[in-house]
Amino acid sequence: MAELIEMVAQRTPPGALPIEVRVAVGLLTGVSPDAMAFYFEAMAPERLGAQARLRARLVPLRGRCDACARAFELDAQAWLCPSCGEPTLRFQNGTELDLEALVVDDGEPHHDRAEDPQEERGPGS
Amino acid sequence: MANLITIEQKILKKNADLALENRQEIERRGLLAVGLLSAPGSGKTSLLERTLAALRGRLRAAVIEGDVQTDRDAQRIAALDVPVVQIVTNGTCHLEARMVQEALPRLPARDLELLFIENVGNLVCPSSYELGEHLRVVVLSVTEGEDKPLKYPAIFRNADVVVFNKIDLLPHLDYDLAAARRFALQVNPGLLLFELSCRTGAGLDPWTRFLEERVAARHTAG
Repeated sequence: MAELIEMVAQRTPPGALPIEVRVAVGLLTGVSPDAMAFYFEAMAPERLGAQARLRARLVPLRGRCDACARAFELDAQAWLCPSCGEPTLRFQNGTELDLEALVVDDGEPHHDRAEDPQEERGPGS
Repeated sequence: MANLITIEQKILKKNADLALENRQEIERRGLLAVGLLSAPGSGKTSLLERTLAALRGRLRAAVIEGDVQTDRDAQRIAALDVPVVQIVTNGTCHLEARMVQEALPRLPARDLELLFIENVGNLVCPSSYELGEHLRVVVLSVTEGEDKPLKYPAIFRNADVVVFNKIDLLPHLDYDLAAARRFALQVNPGLLLFELSCRTGAGLDPWTRFLEERVAARHTAG
């Protein structure tokens, strides 16, 4: 957590405030997004300000079963193939613990340009 | 105004970089490094005591001891006349590569072949922090639940070996060792499994022979 907070502090442009810290958590890390958010709220305000929030998302686990050769995508840790039940899953990911992005407030007044490509925007907005 | 900054940076990158440096230093010194992980009280230090005593005269070993508080475990190792460096983490629940990097220069310069790194007793956090070791060994005692591998999959997933300890107690317990083995292999089919008792010494021979073979393979490799 100390590493993450320091990383955010270093990647926040001078004069800006971090509002949202987006983190990707692999399902094989054993890291709980809720626990992360709890510790973030306890530790971040001193270095990043009280406005900073953590948004941790679990990354689906992708891979293939050696026994039945089926590809899979799972939303929870599993060790047995969802198709054939054999413990022969080969994972392509799962160990990620990445700082994906930061949303920062640069203190400038709002203007119309799109600032967040992930935001849902209606036509013509 | 809110701006999105895309970063895509590994949070534990610094630790991973330091672990890589540790690995290079460990290999420069011609060592095989073995990390020991377990819940508190599974018998990591007892396993070390037994292993070091058995390997005396066969392999030159040293130990880096991680503890939250006290150097009690390091004292137990030092009593065997084995070089030991203590890391007291002062509350941190796992070893980090940075701590091992500071400990490595404190090992004696004389020729060593095998380095054990005993982590803090914890089955959760140490799994995320590489230290630079070649082998990760999880010690599981049969007084714990046989479903530990399913409850703490990350650490078993990242391990190479599981040592089931305290098997002398099996006649007094309902522990299902076959189920524990099955659960461990479900989580990680590549695990090597050993069963032993640090109290009686049963099962120690295959374990110490395995360590000797791995040290010999390192010599052959480089």
